[in-house]
Amino acid sequence: MMPLFLIVLFPIIMALFIYLSFNRLPKISMFMMQLIVLAMAVYFFIYTKENGTVIHVLGYYDQGIGIALKSDNIASVLVLLNAFLFTCMILFNYHKPYMNRLFLFLFVILQGLMNGIFLANDMFTIYVLIELSTIVVSVLIMFKKDSQSIYDGMLYLLTNIVSMTLFLLGIAYMYKIFGSLDLDIIGQRMSLIENPRALILPYSLIITSIGLKSALMPLFSWLPRAHGTPSAPSIVSAILSGLYVKGGLYLFIRFQAIFSEQLDTTHIFLILGFMTAVIGFLFALSQTDIKLILAYSTVSQIGLIIFGLSLNHDYSYWGSIYHIVNHAIFKSVLFLTAGMIIETYETRDIRQITGVFKRMPFVSIITFMAILGITGAPLFNGSISKYLIQSDTSSRDLLEYGLILINLGTIMIFVKYGSMFRGDSHVKTAPVRLNQKLAILILGGFCLAGGIFGVQFIKLLFNINISVSLDGYVRKAIVYMISLIIGWFFYTYLYSKIGLFKKIREIELTFNQICFSIVLFFAGMFSYLLYII
Amino acid sequence: MTLSFGEIIALILFCVGFYGLLARRNIIRTIISLGIIQVAIILFFLAINFESTMIPPIGVSDPSMVADPLPQALMITAIVIGVSVTAVALTMFISLYHRYGSTNWMKVKKKRRDES
Repeated sequence: MMPLFLIVLFPIIMALFIYLSFNRLPKISMFMMQLIVLAMAVYFFIYTKENGTVIHVLGYYDQGIGIALKSDNIASVLVLLNAFLFTCMILFNYHKPYMNRLFLFLFVILQGLMNGIFLANDMFTIYVLIELSTIVVSVLIMFKKDSQSIYDGMLYLLTNIVSMTLFLLGIAYMYKIFGSLDLDIIGQRMSLIENPRALILPYSLIITSIGLKSALMPLFSWLPRAHGTPSAPSIVSAILSGLYVKGGLYLFIRFQAIFSEQLDTTHIFLILGFMTAVIGFLFALSQTDIKLILAYSTVSQIGLIIFGLSLNHDYSYWGSIYHIVNHAIFKSVLFLTAGMIIETYETRDIRQITGVFKRMPFVSIITFMAILGITGAPLFNGSISKYLIQSDTSSRDLLEYGLILINLGTIMIFVKYGSMFRGDSHVKTAPVRLNQKLAILILGGFCLAGGIFGVQFIKLLFNINISVSLDGYVRKAIVYMISLIIGWFFYTYLYSKIGLFKKIREIELTFNQICFSIVLFFAGMFSYLLYII
Repeated sequence: MTLSFGEIIALILFCVGFYGLLARRNIIRTIISLGIIQVAIILFFLAINFESTMIPPIGVSDPSMVADPLPQALMITAIVIGVSVTAVALTMFISLYHRYGSTNWMKVKKKRRDES
């Protein structure tokens, strides 16, 4: 067994090595290194699948003294996904002139740090890794150094640092209560807590910062700034929106699992998830910048995932986790193709882009596959995860209608997004480069494969047997068709008449207001918990 | 849960820092407020389970008398992170100031919006 820390350290050390050794061919060596990382991720995935959870303590101390890395069936899948996406991204951007040594260095370091976040089992290590990756991400956002992205990068950096100070204070409290920072040990000692009220303060502090990291309802205003910033390279947007934000969701899953024994917060997160999803799609509908539409649709999908995780049912839980994987794949396709469309048309305004299908047929077909995936069309990967999330709600009518509403919102966003493919274009464009074609074809292929072989994929990835009943699936397909028609009618006839969207577009929080929303979320969570317990 | 004197001071400092984040529009003051918050958290960590009779965990001594070494070790890392974060934030602020010529969040935001 290779030690687990290699997958964290190897990309970082190699990136540093390639950056420092004045290598003439940084791209090819970085790509080779990336293939090795992918092979390692596959190895760890298979090892974890066969041998169960692997815990590796650095320095061979006992667990609780040294820093522990833990690879369970969710973490190993996320590490695999991480390596796979980064390989596709480097392949996609292989020919770009700004892919110099510095960019590759930062980009690959981010991969190592994210692997660390997924594997770390120690709260302080998580803090250190998140803080580091915040710095790396903010530098990547402003890599092209244009003035808009400098503001966005600065806002991103400071907002996230503020939230991480809450996290650090929270883990200080946890250490005071439990005398350990190891998540497993805290989980074991959780049942010894006699008075759950003692946990309210640390829980609210930690969950506020995780809520900001995963862009929950009042705390999402940094996300579109960071993910949709006009000049950020499209692969950075794709990684941030596809995967980096899932770090927050993964922490949400881990911390909820630990605290759920004493503090039951599924109800409040059900409501928060639903509101995040609804507000996310309202914001997405009101935008005109195609990158911002995609960024806000991420907010909406995160709301859906949080909603699914809080339903307290096995199928919806694994459905949500499968949706994390699916969302990473189709959202990266959407961001990559959006980047290509922006490059061709030299504008980001959806009203000025027409006739994409005529001008870029290959890109359009791949984008359609991703759109079908994200809206949950039958046979595509989104349909399986959305089916699983929904499978428990049939007995609880209100929740089912909620989910149908969320999906209707997603469909509306992408009816709007799809409007740019219509129309005529007489301009001939240069054919798509082979590496870009290959990268988006692989990712787009997974959107389809993840749907057709959905059950087998879930069995392979998580060792969970699920069954998809034919009538439930057909029923969902009918609901999908109806929502598609409603979405189309809404966009063609009603959308332009509603003035609300224009007002929403103007909303933009300043830094002080974002801090205020953090305090508001914390105070709300704190008083809610004091009230119910 | 009872709080020691050091912890109370740390929490007050934390609130002071957060007040700075909420009420001050100057970017430099925002960064200073973050510094105050970091100091507050370091103090909080060090004050956990600390009593005034405790001795530093160095050399051979009675284990029951020794202050908890783990928070101290962690806080060295936290100090390093705090310094680097402040440095990055200030560097970014310099280039932001070159572009927009203002230290005020509101004005910078307005200028950014006019650009797009």
